[in-house]
Amino acid sequence: MRYMLIHAADPDLAGLWDDEAQATFSDWVEETIRTRVNLQGSRVRPSADATTVKIRGGELIITDGPYAETKEQVAGYDLLECASLDEAVRWAGRHPSSWTGAIEVRALPEWAPAEPLPAPADGKVRYMMLVCTDPAVDPREFDRVEPVDPWVEESDGKGIRLYGSELEPPGSARTVRVRKKQAIVTDGPFAETKEQIAGFDVLECDDLDEAIEVARRHPMARLGLLEVRPFWPFGAD
Amino acid sequence: MRTRGGEAPAAVTATDVVGTVVADAFREEWGRITAALIHQTADWDLAEECAQDAFTQALRRWPRDGVPNRPGAWLMTVARNGAIDRLRRSSTYRAKVEELAVMAARETDTDNPEPAVDDSAVPDERLRLIFTCCHPALAMEARVALTLRTLTGLSTAEIARAFLVPEATMAKRLVRAKQKIANARIPYRVPRASALPERVPGVLAVLYLVFNEGYAASAGDDLIRRDLCDRAVILTQVLAELLPGEPEAKGLLALMLFHRARQAARVDDQGDLVTLEDQDRARWDQAQMGVARRYLAEALAAGQRPGQYQVQAAIAECHAAAPVAQATDWPRIARLYQYLADMTGSPVVELNRAVAVAMADGPAAGLALLRRLEADGALAGYYLLPATRADFLRRLGRLEEAARAYEEAAALAGTAPERRFLNARLAEVRSQPA
Repeated sequence: MRYMLIHAADPDLAGLWDDEAQATFSDWVEETIRTRVNLQGSRVRPSADATTVKIRGGELIITDGPYAETKEQVAGYDLLECASLDEAVRWAGRHPSSWTGAIEVRALPEWAPAEPLPAPADGKVRYMMLVCTDPAVDPREFDRVEPVDPWVEESDGKGIRLYGSELEPPGSARTVRVRKKQAIVTDGPFAETKEQIAGFDVLECDDLDEAIEVARRHPMARLGLLEVRPFWPFGAD
Repeated sequence: MRTRGGEAPAAVTATDVVGTVVADAFREEWGRITAALIHQTADWDLAEECAQDAFTQALRRWPRDGVPNRPGAWLMTVARNGAIDRLRRSSTYRAKVEELAVMAARETDTDNPEPAVDDSAVPDERLRLIFTCCHPALAMEARVALTLRTLTGLSTAEIARAFLVPEATMAKRLVRAKQKIANARIPYRVPRASALPERVPGVLAVLYLVFNEGYAASAGDDLIRRDLCDRAVILTQVLAELLPGEPEAKGLLALMLFHRARQAARVDDQGDLVTLEDQDRARWDQAQMGVARRYLAEALAAGQRPGQYQVQAAIAECHAAAPVAQATDWPRIARLYQYLADMTGSPVVELNRAVAVAMADGPAAGLALLRRLEADGALAGYYLLPATRADFLRRLGRLEEAARAYEEAAALAGTAPERRFLNARLAEVRSQPA
């Protein structure tokens, strides 16, 4: 089974990321890759660099900022191949971002692909696109959501979409926080917001305008929110 | 005008004269220079610093050497040479340095930066800069700040004063906006033609907000606020010229000019607001209204369905056309507001329509429209709603009710001049025999 670890950083705890955390993080990455548990992952830029896209009444609405105002903010992700949810939760408890915030563990559906990301293309920028629900939209509307397949095909065909999947409902998520060396595991997502992450895609674009163009064509643009957040390039400050 | 070495006879007052010339050049050229440098270096801070340096050098050298024939080209060259120097020192931007150096070499030698070619060869990059500063992925307040800083050269301290926020807050806002442009890779380019209808309204909204911030003059430093109006007008002019196919840009320009033409008559000697009805129309700037009329006519001649700025400008034109308040074509204004209300669905527009209908068909008709607005609740807490009702009631001779409505409005009004105006009217209806 595949699981997504959504890293959420608590700005109040950022100071706890010390040399020990950095060393633990390096070991974690090395071990998960060596054991072929880790399929892919990246840090993403802070939520101040996020842009949210939706279509309401036929009109494109672009806003500065993340899909929801939460104290802990999405800071990165990892995609793991694990035998069970418990095993994924154990990996989350060993990752130091659970010390400085939270890690939400979400299962991917059975049929989600297991590919790693290709090497970054020159001059392109990668974006994590979070597909989110909007509490302002009547849930009954969701019966009318168009299938996502044509969008996937189109975006894959243009070489823009590198990976993506729905996530199992947030009700089956676990969230891990380590405080004073003790792992605290709770049911449900990291943020108690009405907006919830329903899926994600990794896009590779020329610039933000291209990412917005791709996001607006996603069927959830009419019923939910699409947050577009640049990857934090490896080694950049 | 240009003088050299010992033969500088005008040097007596040259510093003052040159100061004015540099100030004019600043208004004209700042945005053009930063836009070109951002295009070539992709470094916003570098562009601003080098533009600043070029103007500082002009203040030092023009009194001594004389004002160059083409001040804009001189400034552009000095700014570009400054950018080359800085980039060379940082040594990591070799490709950019070469690009800049090739362009600079074509034009001039460094000691005498009088360009050898016509400066019309320098492409006008301001349109890119406008669209980037006003990108919808930036918060509105960031777009406004970035536009004023980068395109008009207003300093961070001045922008902070104009918007009544601490300078450190404004500085942080500007840094954040530039970081987002770099990190999220907001492109530095004019959107393709098919995307323009979606993007132009956002740009016009920023310019109109800047203008209104200056025009309202309800708080803050008056001088800076008037300056905001002028800068908004200049930028809208640039936009209208560079986007000739967008009639709404001309419409907005016409609207701003109609408003600005009435500026002198809007405030009396005590600093109190004078209503349109009571303004001394001899103090309206007829020349400026003439320019506004031409822009509006050009916009309407495009033959597209007029957008909201063109309709608002057409309303302003109705007022401008009336030599005395009594001659105002209120039925036409009421029709234009109806058109605007259908287009925008805005309750404030609906309130203005009620005022126009009251003038055209009598206060009772206006009052009926107001009742619908009040029931709707969208304008609850907005002082102009009870103030308008008070005015209708006063004109209907229902003075008791009018007095209560004036009181309600005065309690909601935000500024001292507004409260003074309402209290004066209140005293007036109280003193009349019922």
